[in-house]
Amino acid sequence: MTFVASLLTPVRTPGGRAGLTRLGCLAAVLSTVGLLPWLSGRDPALTVLRARSAEQEATAEALAAIRADLGLDAGPLSLLGSWASGLLRGDLGTSWVSGTDVLPSVVAGLQVSLSLMGAALGVALLVTCALVAPVLVRGRGSGGAFAAMLAAVPEFLLATVALLVCGVWLGWLPTAGWQGPVYLVLPALALGVPAGGLLGRLVADALPAVLEERWVELWRGAGVHKARISAAALRRVLPPLVPQFGMVAVGLTGGAVAVETVFAVPGIGRMALGAAKSQDLPLLQGAVLALLTLGLLTGALAALVRRRLLGPALREAGLTLPAARPVRAHPAVPVALGAVLLTCIGWGLLRDPYTVNTTARLRAPSWSHPLGTDGLGRDVLARLGHGAASTVGTAAAVCLIGLLLALALGFLPSVASGASDIANALPPVIAGILVAAVVGPGTGGAALAVAVISWPALSAHAAALVQEVRASTFLTAQRAIGATPWWILTRHVLPSVAAPVTRHALLRLPGIALALASLGFLGLGAQPPAPEWGLMLDESRAYVERAPWAALAPAVALALLAALAVSAGAYAEGGATRAASVRGRFALAFAFAARRSRKEALQ
Amino acid sequence: MSPLLDIRELVVRHGPRTAVDHVSFTIDPGETLGLIGPSGCGKSSTAMAVLQLRRPDAGEVWFDGQELTALDERRLRPLRPALQPVFQDPYGSLSPRHKISDAIAEPLRVQGSWDRTTGPARVAELLERVGLDPAHGDRRPHELSGGQCQRAGIARALACEPKLLVLDEPVSALDPSLRAGILNLLAELQERLGLGYLFICHDMALVRHFCDRVAEMREGRLVRTTAVTSPSPPR
Repeated sequence: MTFVASLLTPVRTPGGRAGLTRLGCLAAVLSTVGLLPWLSGRDPALTVLRARSAEQEATAEALAAIRADLGLDAGPLSLLGSWASGLLRGDLGTSWVSGTDVLPSVVAGLQVSLSLMGAALGVALLVTCALVAPVLVRGRGSGGAFAAMLAAVPEFLLATVALLVCGVWLGWLPTAGWQGPVYLVLPALALGVPAGGLLGRLVADALPAVLEERWVELWRGAGVHKARISAAALRRVLPPLVPQFGMVAVGLTGGAVAVETVFAVPGIGRMALGAAKSQDLPLLQGAVLALLTLGLLTGALAALVRRRLLGPALREAGLTLPAARPVRAHPAVPVALGAVLLTCIGWGLLRDPYTVNTTARLRAPSWSHPLGTDGLGRDVLARLGHGAASTVGTAAAVCLIGLLLALALGFLPSVASGASDIANALPPVIAGILVAAVVGPGTGGAALAVAVISWPALSAHAAALVQEVRASTFLTAQRAIGATPWWILTRHVLPSVAAPVTRHALLRLPGIALALASLGFLGLGAQPPAPEWGLMLDESRAYVERAPWAALAPAVALALLAALAVSAGAYAEGGATRAASVRGRFALAFAFAARRSRKEALQ
Repeated sequence: MSPLLDIRELVVRHGPRTAVDHVSFTIDPGETLGLIGPSGCGKSSTAMAVLQLRRPDAGEVWFDGQELTALDERRLRPLRPALQPVFQDPYGSLSPRHKISDAIAEPLRVQGSWDRTTGPARVAELLERVGLDPAHGDRRPHELSGGQCQRAGIARALACEPKLLVLDEPVSALDPSLRAGILNLLAELQERLGLGYLFICHDMALVRHFCDRVAEMREGRLVRTTAVTSPSPPR
């Protein structure tokens, strides 16, 4: 991520426009954080009064006094001004609930989170090495599918499963608290394994093509030791991937919220979540600011490392990776996974998810309750089915919004690229916290947060396609036959952009559903008694020792969804490379013919 | 007889660089003017400016008694069909998503002269005129050879009932074996329909064979115009 680096360089065209958008987006995010007290329409005075002195009567005078005390009666601009000036003086304000300074608690939380993230990075590196080593040893092939699976499992799911297996059933490790190095193991594993899976996948996918490059052949022929070739191949692969490593580090800040919540680690992520839930906005501002800064700093660090690795001669697209060889993906895997999920969902939809039966609490799976019952005696299968309908329905709506936005903004490429940089620095969980602080937790807010995060990728794709179509000769021919701009747009540009972007949006559907589930798990999305998968997982944690199946059902469903996302993505990628190779053949034939004719002209 | 196309002092600038520097020439109906010169000398910029696909920065383009540079886009649009391009890249000039017959019918649809009963027959007739099997109409560009695509591109231009074709290196991207076929087709069409051609090329032998007059460009300027009725003098 070259985000901060590009902010520091002077504005130049055409990159300058994207840089300006970046600056604008950053300012927008920062002012959203600064204006949180004013943006959240609900009056926090009552919440704060209850938190400070529960016995005091909520009279109009008492509430007005609290409003004046918090500075809520001033306008938004003065609020933003005082927050910004306090920020410059290193003063983050005082907590509304506890009345203590925000800065010391943020620093304390940051220390805990940084050590957790450090340990998680260690785990991630180990996982990456484990995934990459077989590729280097064999010289080809990849552990792509397995790594992709690891990368797709969301942190909150892994954390819950790790807690269930290692902490509760086996009793090896402590499951809650922060009292010593032993307490670090499970959270670091839950946070580090998905990140390691992503890193390992990136490297393992790029390596086989690099190992087929000519220089490797030459070195082998010259008798260079295999270890040296491996080291050189790694050094060849890493620079183009470093920006994505930066994004993984940014993702850790979002994952930390979920993992710290599950394992009751007093870190900055848990602090942000708690502050959002109790409407303690100054504390939330401080925590979110710290998390954003952390993300931006890692991004800048990644850009710096990339520069060091590349050296002074090569800049931006100076060293690109060869195209990864197409992975042979069979449609049977995603189809089978989809069929299993759809069967469960369809069966569950026929049952009633809301009927409370206190005599049948926490029943084991049986014929009358195929997946058992939860803490209120509700049928787990029914809740799974109805939860899928609402989760997938919301995800579909989010996809549609993202798609429409992408198609509209695809015609402004500089906006799309600048905005996607910001969205990359903002994990969905943090966006969810911000949105929940403004509009309160709920399905709509969670959908909004995920939509805000997911449109830039689609939009960047649409922008690239629009540019490609606009540059094509057949569009010039359209103008020459006297077609109106409207005709060209509706008959040629939109159809060639809409189909691939729609496919892309559909592929993102499972990932969006997972993001919604993670917000539901953290209490920022759907509210009880709604049957939402993340929420079901969260509710079942309370009695996981007595009724593990109630937790297992949504966990397995989410894992299946993750697997569906991966296999569908791999299949579509294979399809794209197939199509690209057909197109490439024609381009190549054309280039050859053109070169031949030029040669003949010279003779 | 007044010329079909009369270019006067045409100037095209790309940023600070002047790509076409005060170029003037004329083309009569049924005449072929060859425009020749090394890569980057401004041939294609001239072609785009003649077609008004890139508006020139100065100069006049008189076509069929009208000054095109003075017209705005809306008033220019009805005149555009009479001035048709044929591009170098046979695949790129057709939409990969549309069938050949749709691409050829598109000018008729755009101009509102499409008739559901007679239209298909007109498309078939155009396909036959450029030497394609009407069955090729159901295919998409990637299912055809480069020569066949180039013929389809010519058929689309003919559907506009043009008076002038701007041929921007129409055979450079084709196999030498296919070139003669396309050039013969173009010559035959010119004879039958009385079209004027602006033929852009960098192959001197080809230009001598195909053109009535040859204009040579160098670094944006027209350096000389020669008739090729008689064998060219030795240099």
